[in-house]
Amino acid sequence: MSIELRDVHKAFGSNEVLRGFSIMAEEGETLVVMGQSGSGKSVMLKHIVGLLIPDQGTVWVDGAEVNRLERKRLFELRRKVGYVFQFAALFDSMTIAENVAMGLRRIKGTTTDQIRERVAECLALVDLEGFQSRLPAELSGGQQKRAGIARAIATRPKYLLYDEPTSGLDPVTKAVIDRLILRMRHLVGVTGLVITHDVESAYRVGDRIAMLHEGRCRFVGTPDEVRDTEDPVVKGFMEGRPELMEVAS
Amino acid sequence: MLTGEAALSVRHVDVWGRLFIQQMSRIGVDSVPIALFIAAFTGIVLSLQASYTFTGAIPLYFVGVLVGKTMMLELGPVLTGLALSGRVGANIAAELGTMRVTEQVDALETLAYPPVAYLVLPRVMAGIIMFPVVTALAIGMGIAAGWVTALQLLNMSTPEFVNGLTLFFLPFDVMFATVKAVSFGFVVTSIGCYFGFNARGGAEGVGRNTTRAVVVSSMVILALDAFWAVVLL
Repeated sequence: MSIELRDVHKAFGSNEVLRGFSIMAEEGETLVVMGQSGSGKSVMLKHIVGLLIPDQGTVWVDGAEVNRLERKRLFELRRKVGYVFQFAALFDSMTIAENVAMGLRRIKGTTTDQIRERVAECLALVDLEGFQSRLPAELSGGQQKRAGIARAIATRPKYLLYDEPTSGLDPVTKAVIDRLILRMRHLVGVTGLVITHDVESAYRVGDRIAMLHEGRCRFVGTPDEVRDTEDPVVKGFMEGRPELMEVAS
Repeated sequence: MLTGEAALSVRHVDVWGRLFIQQMSRIGVDSVPIALFIAAFTGIVLSLQASYTFTGAIPLYFVGVLVGKTMMLELGPVLTGLALSGRVGANIAAELGTMRVTEQVDALETLAYPPVAYLVLPRVMAGIIMFPVVTALAIGMGIAAGWVTALQLLNMSTPEFVNGLTLFFLPFDVMFATVKAVSFGFVVTSIGCYFGFNARGGAEGVGRNTTRAVVVSSMVILALDAFWAVVLL
């Protein structure tokens, strides 16, 4: 079972964001999708959980075609997918424990004690022990991202989607988050899809790295293949050389 | 569409049940002080204006008639509706708008919560139930304030005021006020939810939609007020 996007097109008015984007994340791997700001990475990610519906093309998750699922089935599928938002998107009127417990409360037959235990377990996994009663506003940016990860993993999802997990963080916190993503794969064994424009992060966490450029998948390969590629767009992006990308365009 | 989806979401009691009680408190109980404040001063003014208008020509106990009828049929429901469109409608639009632009609504979806059942339904249902309660308290306060004013400033006696109050009272008046309050509760909360849900463009967008929610719901309240008068009176 995997995540696959086939020839996905998406436009907002006259702005064509995705123009035939195709990619597949194999089971158990962490696939990093890179691209410039505004290239449509977040839009692509939102298609996977059915927050957006493609104008054309199909999205497959765990063997189901997302945009054809009826609402009940879509919610069942969403329970298998954890989503880490770019700015954490924690519910600001709730404590961290309540945030992490949200997904668990939707699982029938889960007792209050089980929820409390699982919340503590998830917070420990992201090094936020004792933060249960804090409000999101009382946490730093890095801590909020970690709380967002704890919320995403609470229901033991098969898939984890990370939207810019390290953007706006200092280098040390970035490394902590990257380590956390690796830990999620090793400890929990999830299939991960990480979107980022942080090159260092991509090399650290990705089994494979893909490049989203002008609405399509420009390149996909292992970190070594990315380092060795002569594709001017990929090379220009990875090395921070806009002139290479401009020539290619 | 949002209202239709909210109606379909009624079956998700596990999602909205707990929040419904919370919203009844926030929308209803927390709105009581402002509604009572407005009603008290309205009752005082009504009493004084009635006495000023009736001087010499009409018996003074008609002050009770005017205060009672006006508070129940018109000013109680409408002033409470307008006050709560500012307090409740703005609050809902700002809260849901902020949740929308900070991706909290998307987060709810990814956690398998139907956002309409979680956010819209408890607010609209709480509005429908609590607006009539707040309106009833406001009507009571307005009449009480009018009565105290009549006793203290117009030299009327309690029997005189009560006589006027009950003279033209019809049980239909209560039904009329309830219908208005229920419809205003529905309008204020659903319009607040609509503009909150559709907020775009960060803090500016949230601010713009909050203002729109208050303006539109105030206009709809006044239009509905005339509509019910035409249909039911």
